[in-house]
Amino acid sequence: MSTTHPHTTTVSGTPPAWRPGLRSWLVLTVCEAKMVVRDTAGLVVPLVLPLLILVMSAAPAADQPVTGGYTALDVYVLPLVLTVVLGTIGVINMPSFLAYYRRTGILRRLSATPASPAMVLVAQVAVSAVQALIGLAGALAVAFGVFGAHRPAHLGTAVAVYLLAMGAMYAVGMVVAALAPTPNAAVAIGLVAFFALGALGGMFGGVSSLPAPLATVGEWLPFGATVAALGSAWVGAPVDPAHLLALAATVVLGSGIAATFFRWS
Amino acid sequence: MSTPDTSTPAVVATRLRKRYGGTTAVDDVSLRIEQGEVVGVLGVNGAGKTTTVELVAGLRRPDSGSVRVLGLDPHRERGRVRQVLGVQLQHASLHAALTVAELVGLYRTFYPQPRPTAELLELVGLTEQRTVRFERLSGGQQQRLSIALALAGRPRVVVLDELTTGLDPRARRRMWAAVESLRDEAVTVLLVSHTMEEVERLCDRVLLLDAGRVVASDTPAGLVASSGADTLDDAFVALTGKSLEVVE
Repeated sequence: MSTTHPHTTTVSGTPPAWRPGLRSWLVLTVCEAKMVVRDTAGLVVPLVLPLLILVMSAAPAADQPVTGGYTALDVYVLPLVLTVVLGTIGVINMPSFLAYYRRTGILRRLSATPASPAMVLVAQVAVSAVQALIGLAGALAVAFGVFGAHRPAHLGTAVAVYLLAMGAMYAVGMVVAALAPTPNAAVAIGLVAFFALGALGGMFGGVSSLPAPLATVGEWLPFGATVAALGSAWVGAPVDPAHLLALAATVVLGSGIAATFFRWS
Repeated sequence: MSTPDTSTPAVVATRLRKRYGGTTAVDDVSLRIEQGEVVGVLGVNGAGKTTTVELVAGLRRPDSGSVRVLGLDPHRERGRVRQVLGVQLQHASLHAALTVAELVGLYRTFYPQPRPTAELLELVGLTEQRTVRFERLSGGQQQRLSIALALAGRPRVVVLDELTTGLDPRARRRMWAAVESLRDEAVTVLLVSHTMEEVERLCDRVLLLDAGRVVASDTPAGLVASSGADTLDDAFVALTGKSLEVVE
C-alpha cells in the first residue's frame, strides 16, 4: 500500500471517512452528458419539439399585436415554447433516465462505492440545465432571427422566472421518477403529466378556450404559471405573485414528495 | 501512517437473519473471516448466498444480527466501509453508453488512491476493449469489467458475487489469477462460487450454505475429510443432500 496517504489512520488501520471530491463530480457530470448525447432519440424531443411548435405558430402570431408593440409571439407563443423546452427535459427525459438507472441497478452499484447515488441526481440536473440552455438558445435564435420577436422588457425578471420554472419542472420530474415503478411507467407517466400540464397551460390553443375552472387550475400548475409569468415579464407587466407562488410551491412540494418516496434500488 | 492492524477480523457477521415476504433467505448466519483469507460461499440456487454477501457488504439491512467489516458498521460508518470494501454485484448494470475506459475512469474518481486504469484492464483482460461501450460488451466481458470496478479503489476486503459464472475457460483462468494476485497482496476475498474446482483452487475456506443456514465451514480438504466423502462434490451432496451439478 502507498505510504503517501495524508490521513491519519485509526486503530484498526481503516482510513477516516472520505468523500469523492470535485473532480469526481465533474467526471460524473461529463459521463452523464455523454449518456444524454449518445441517446440521440432522447435529445430530439426537447430540442426539436419546441422548434416545431414555434415554427408552426410564430408567423400568424407575429402579426397579431397585443400590447405596447408586443405581439402574440412575444406574449404567448415564445413563453409557451420556452416552457415546453423545460417541460420535456424536466418532466419527460430526466425521470426516464433515473428510472432506467434504478431499474438496471446502476444506482445500486454506485451505492456500493464511496460515491453517493445522489451525485447522479445532481449530475443529471446539471446536464439537463445545459440541455435547457441549448433548447432556449435555439428557440430564441429562430424567434428573433426568423420571426422578428421582441426582446423581453424585463430581462432580469424573465431570467428569474425561467430559473424558478426550471426548478418546478425538475420537481415534477423527480416526483415522476420517485413514484414510477418501472422505466416504461416513468416514460408513460412523464408524457401524460407533461401533456396534461401543457393542455391546461395553453399548449393546444389558448387557455381562453378551456372551461373556466380548468383554466384556473391550469394557471396554477407549473406549465400555465410559467407561460403566464414569462409573458408578463416579456411585456414589462408586473408578474402575478400567484404564479410565482405556484411555481415555488411546486418546487417545495415536489422535492418533499420525491425525497420521501425516491428509492435508489 | 501506522501499519494496518491485522488482528481485526476482516468480516464478522453475527446471527444474520433476512426474510423477503414469507421466505427466509438467510437464517441465523454467523461467520468470521480473518484478514487475507480467501473464502468461498457455496450452495445451490436459493441457498442464500447472494443475500448473505449483500448483508456483509451492507447493501441490505438484516432483520436482525450485525455485521462488521474491519471493525466498522457498514450502515453507520458507510463512508469508511465503502472505501475499504470492493463489491461486485450479480445483477447490477453500468451506464450502457459509456466505454470500458470511461467507466473505469469514473469509478477510479470515487476512491482516494485508485489503481491505475491500465493495470485494472490488464488484470481482467479488457485492455483491447477499452474503447468499447458497455452495451456492446459480451456478458462475460461485462462481468469482468464489473470485477475491475470492484478492485478500482484498492480495497482491503472484496466481495465477488459472480466471479466466473458463464465465463469461458480462458477468462475463468484469468479471473482465478486475478484472485490469486489479490491473495498475494493480502486482500481478503469473499466469493460466491458454483464450482468445486474453483473453491479448491482459490479458497482457504469454504462456507456451505443450505436453505439460508451455514451447514459447514472448513477448508476444502477438511470438508471432504469430515463428511467421509472422496471429493468435494461428494462432500457437498453429503452435507446438503443436494447436488451442485444441477446449478448452471
